[in-house]
Amino acid sequence: MAELTVENLHLTYGTNPILKGVSLTLNPGEVVSLLGPSGSGKTTLLRAVAGLEAPHRGSIKLRDRTIFDGAAGLDVPAEARNLGLVFQSYALWPHKTVFDNVAFGLKLRKVAADEISTRVKKALGELSLGHLSERFPHQLSGGQQQRVAIARALVYNPPVILMDEPLSNLDAKLREEARAWLRDLIVTMHLSALVVTHDQSESMAMSDRILLLNNGVIEQQGTPQQMYAEPQTLFTADFMGSNNRLAGQVAELAGDQALLKGEGWQLRGRAKPGAKMGAAGTGLIRLERVRVAEGPGDNRVQPELKTSMFLGDKWEHVFNLGATMLRAHGPRALSPGKHWVEIPREDFWVF
Amino acid sequence: MSAVPSALGGGGPRGASSFFTWRALTILTTAVAVLGPLSLIVYQSLLTAPFFDARKTAGFGAYAFVFADEDFWKALRNSVVIAGGMTLIAVPLGAILAFVMERTDLPFKRWFEPLILVPSFVSPMVLSFGFVVAAGPVGFYTVWSQDLFGVAPWGLYSILAMTVIAGLTHVPNVYVYASAALKSLGSDVEEAARSAGASPFRVAMSVSLPLILPSMLFAAVLVFFLGFELFGLPLVLGDPEGILVLSTYLYKLTNKLGTPSYHLMAAVAVCIVAITFPLVLLQRKLLQGARKYATIKGKAGRMRELPLGKWTGLALFIIVAYLFVTVIVPISGIALRAFVTNWGFGVNLSEAFTLDSFRYVFQETTHTRAIWNTILIGTVGGALTVACYTAIGFATHRRDDGWSRLVDYLVLVPRAIPGLLAGLAFLWIFLFVPFLAPIRATIFSMWIAYTVVWLAYGMRLISSSLMQVAPELEEAARSVGASRATVSRKITLPLIRPGLIASWLLVFMIFEREYSTGVYLLAPGNEVIGAQLVSLWQGGAIDIVAALSLINILLVGAGLAVALRLGVKLRD
Amino acid sequence: MRGFVTVAALAAASLGAFAQVPAGYPADYAKIVAGAKAEGKVVIYSALDTKAAAPLVKDFNAVYPDVKVEYNDMNSTELYNRFIAEVASGQGGADVMWSSAMDLQVKLVDDGQAMTYASPEVVKLPKWAVYKNQAYGTTYEPAVFIYNKRLVTGAEIPQDHASFAKVIESNTAKFKGKVTTYDIEKSGVGFMFVVQDTKYFPGMKDLERGFGATSYKVYSSTGNMLEKVSSGEHLLGYNVLGSYALVRAKKDPNLGVVLPKDFTLVLSRVMFIGKKAQHPNAAKLWTDYVLSQRGQKMIGGEVELFAVRDDVEAEYTASKLNKQLGGVVKPIPVGAEITEYLDSKKRLEFLGQWKATLAAGGGK
Repeated sequence: MAELTVENLHLTYGTNPILKGVSLTLNPGEVVSLLGPSGSGKTTLLRAVAGLEAPHRGSIKLRDRTIFDGAAGLDVPAEARNLGLVFQSYALWPHKTVFDNVAFGLKLRKVAADEISTRVKKALGELSLGHLSERFPHQLSGGQQQRVAIARALVYNPPVILMDEPLSNLDAKLREEARAWLRDLIVTMHLSALVVTHDQSESMAMSDRILLLNNGVIEQQGTPQQMYAEPQTLFTADFMGSNNRLAGQVAELAGDQALLKGEGWQLRGRAKPGAKMGAAGTGLIRLERVRVAEGPGDNRVQPELKTSMFLGDKWEHVFNLGATMLRAHGPRALSPGKHWVEIPREDFWVF
Repeated sequence: MSAVPSALGGGGPRGASSFFTWRALTILTTAVAVLGPLSLIVYQSLLTAPFFDARKTAGFGAYAFVFADEDFWKALRNSVVIAGGMTLIAVPLGAILAFVMERTDLPFKRWFEPLILVPSFVSPMVLSFGFVVAAGPVGFYTVWSQDLFGVAPWGLYSILAMTVIAGLTHVPNVYVYASAALKSLGSDVEEAARSAGASPFRVAMSVSLPLILPSMLFAAVLVFFLGFELFGLPLVLGDPEGILVLSTYLYKLTNKLGTPSYHLMAAVAVCIVAITFPLVLLQRKLLQGARKYATIKGKAGRMRELPLGKWTGLALFIIVAYLFVTVIVPISGIALRAFVTNWGFGVNLSEAFTLDSFRYVFQETTHTRAIWNTILIGTVGGALTVACYTAIGFATHRRDDGWSRLVDYLVLVPRAIPGLLAGLAFLWIFLFVPFLAPIRATIFSMWIAYTVVWLAYGMRLISSSLMQVAPELEEAARSVGASRATVSRKITLPLIRPGLIASWLLVFMIFEREYSTGVYLLAPGNEVIGAQLVSLWQGGAIDIVAALSLINILLVGAGLAVALRLGVKLRD
Repeated sequence: MRGFVTVAALAAASLGAFAQVPAGYPADYAKIVAGAKAEGKVVIYSALDTKAAAPLVKDFNAVYPDVKVEYNDMNSTELYNRFIAEVASGQGGADVMWSSAMDLQVKLVDDGQAMTYASPEVVKLPKWAVYKNQAYGTTYEPAVFIYNKRLVTGAEIPQDHASFAKVIESNTAKFKGKVTTYDIEKSGVGFMFVVQDTKYFPGMKDLERGFGATSYKVYSSTGNMLEKVSSGEHLLGYNVLGSYALVRAKKDPNLGVVLPKDFTLVLSRVMFIGKKAQHPNAAKLWTDYVLSQRGQKMIGGEVELFAVRDDVEAEYTASKLNKQLGGVVKPIPVGAEITEYLDSKKRLEFLGQWKATLAAGGGK
């Protein structure tokens, strides 16, 4: 049975519709990301699940217990939902010590004092915070505060843990490390997590499934690989990864093959749903798929090199293909001038 | 993984409903306490005689009389001018003082802070009297100035002087709000400005003060309110030139027809409330704008002071000048008067020195009782009052429904009624409502009247403290299973404690200097210094007035100093 | 058994009380004394401040130690307000009302609020000081002129009303902004005084014009006027309550007092017992005390008001004043005629005329 089931959720702020019919399921042990640009409604969705926002239509169920049902007028208050919620700003209570912050949830559940002590110490220990239990939030670093926020949400073993941009307040270096251990933590503790993030690489690294939201509806959902390698819409394709977009006309369309004609170039690629014969189309290819070639060949173009940037492990070359910008990665520097660049057919999508 | 039951069982309707009832009770009590006196006044304004007089008839005669009286219009104009002027003086000055004291490294801060607050706990009548003795036509300073410089270019009995003095003496009110608001700003916004090259003055003008604008607008509207209720000041300084304001006009009405004309007074009070209601609406709008300025978030950080550098001299000068004019001049006047038998042109002060006034005060039981009662009502009463205000604050916290709006309006209305008439209305209530009658002659009746009349003031500070608590902190608590009531108790309340204590201090100061509200409730046993000063002044015992005022000032100053020392901080 | 004890107690009480009945009082006065003892206290609302009244209260308690005096002082308007409100709500309040606002007191009597009680001392009081055996004038306080001794000298000191007018009119420059009197719109006593002045002083209009010409300064409080004349901020004061002025002048070398020689108005604080008094016997005791020789002696002595009775020896007495001034003393009668101007229309008319005359004088 799914841990969390959301069905056809609608939510409006005043006259502004934010969620326009969103459904999702969260299975036991899964980490699901809610991904999307700002304004897409992902945080609102999370807060609605938590009980801090009030939808007006749809239903939310935890296992078999309904906590929201628009039709029946049922809205279980946030404090009764027994979920763990980690805020983007951590929201640690400044007047309580780390220990008290974490213990608060247990105190509310009338757990005995010594058991509280044991469990809190265990939770803090698991997050390497044991030595900080008597400190106050303002005495901790950002990373430490984040771990306290997580410990606080987990200590009473909620079935589902909700996280709002858990990593975005950390500095870049920490973020990379945190990605790994956060997923590791969730998996080890057999939790089910719903994580909101705007960073697609983060969501791919951490989750079993990704839900991409666009303007209040789910654009596409799937495993990270599916989302990355098989986008069904231009939005999805463009959101995941770093891409080149080429605008042109769909000159040929046969089965799953299409020919896109642009200004002084034409390229063959895989036709995606929505591509129409004779209509305007957009071609998209991931940066890392573009190859700098030796000479002319199949599906190759010859753009002018504008500039190259050294990124440490590779070079990023910026070409001008007519008026369009084309970026590619390469292992070494290039001399200025025209170069041949290959756009492999299988990796070039035409929408 | 074991399943732990959620903190509130399934659904939590029981928890929610008991909270609802508590809220309903608070709101109901507030409504009754505010609307009771107000409706009595409105009712009275529509009659032609006291409402308990058998010969009364209904009608608009009271309003007709008032609107036809040219004194009313003159008084109205003067009130508006003075209220506006004093707001323009008090708000910028209060904000700047708060900025300098809160956010910079000004030296001697600890000494300045209590001194800045002095005008707000000295009875305005006493202060005005102090100004007359010190800077009036034959005041000490006037005479000295004439001896030294040949001129004393100030005219005390003028609208200008009244406006300036009113403005200066209301600076502490603005200061308290401004410093509370500045306290919760992160220093990063100011440091960003500094690193962009802004001097401390620039930082204040462009960053800090705009960020606390909502609180400042709030304070501005409240100070404007207070302008309409000024009584002691225009009474002492306005009388000589016949300059009337609404409250002294009302006072004049008391005897203009020979027998006290409650209906006329009530009509004027209703007019005042009608003027201030748009101000209430305005304030509500300001509240909404202020919501986006919540800054106590989970991310805690230290606050660093801005170095003043070459601005230190100017800042010190401003503060010292303010303190001199607003505090030292009138209080030295009072102190001098308390120790001499007479004064004026050609009087040799050293010959007139005496301690008789003080001896008398301490011998007379009515006075010693007044001193004791005043301490009591300020400390214990003040704490109880803040508790009540906090309860009301919670009833409207984070709930933007019709009830909250209702409470917002309710809270602001009593302050719009002149203290004099509010006190009279309370007397009527205590007289005519059977179960309240026994408490009339006790200090408790005084406390109730004070608490209701000053709702707007005390509650605003609490509301703004509440506003500064980031919703996330409360949401986090709810997500771990705390009911709304528990959240209020365990999370919000501890976090607003500095605000509560500041409120208590403010309420203490206000209660100590209150004088008009208690005048009608005065009875043996519940005397308070303020109301007693009014009757003493009326009777002409100016030396006792001076002595008692000095005692009052010293008492409150001591209380303030003790509080600040014990860690009740208005800064940090 | 109970009945016997009560009678015995009463007998014992009356026997003991018998010693307290003042000389010349009827024998059954003892009942009143006993009743007062049982009541235990008397509640007084008075316009005379506590400090001044203290010696009186002390002396009363020397005679009647068992009757506690609850003395409330407030200004005459509050007195009136408080009284009518409390009577209307049925909540006790004052047993004795003692106020300098003579007109308001008489109005209350006319409204039936006073208890009829013929004090044994009535016969000793002047006729004008007794109203329907319900209200009594208790003091004899003159309306005086005050001046600053250092700055006003010789011929400038007005000795009567006419010269007051002349002094200020002929020397407007010196007295501009320096003449003071009661604000007759705010002060009932001030209003009453000028109404009476108009009766006795034909040249009142001159005086009013003089006030206008010198932009006179008005106050509602006696204390204020005394302060300002003493300090030199003002130079002359008109119709100031003599009791306060004379007391101040004793200590204050700057303050000079003049009893006008053409006529001197005299105010008498009116006292009555509330009809619904909760301690009627105690109230009677107090009233009789104040009107008695002993009480009047205190009033004329330590209390520093003037005793109204002729047959009293004290520092300030009516007889002394009368002798000083000859026949020119004009006491304001405790009677219905003084309530004439409590009628709003009449009052406003008077005020209107007053203001017009001031304006004509060229001042306010």
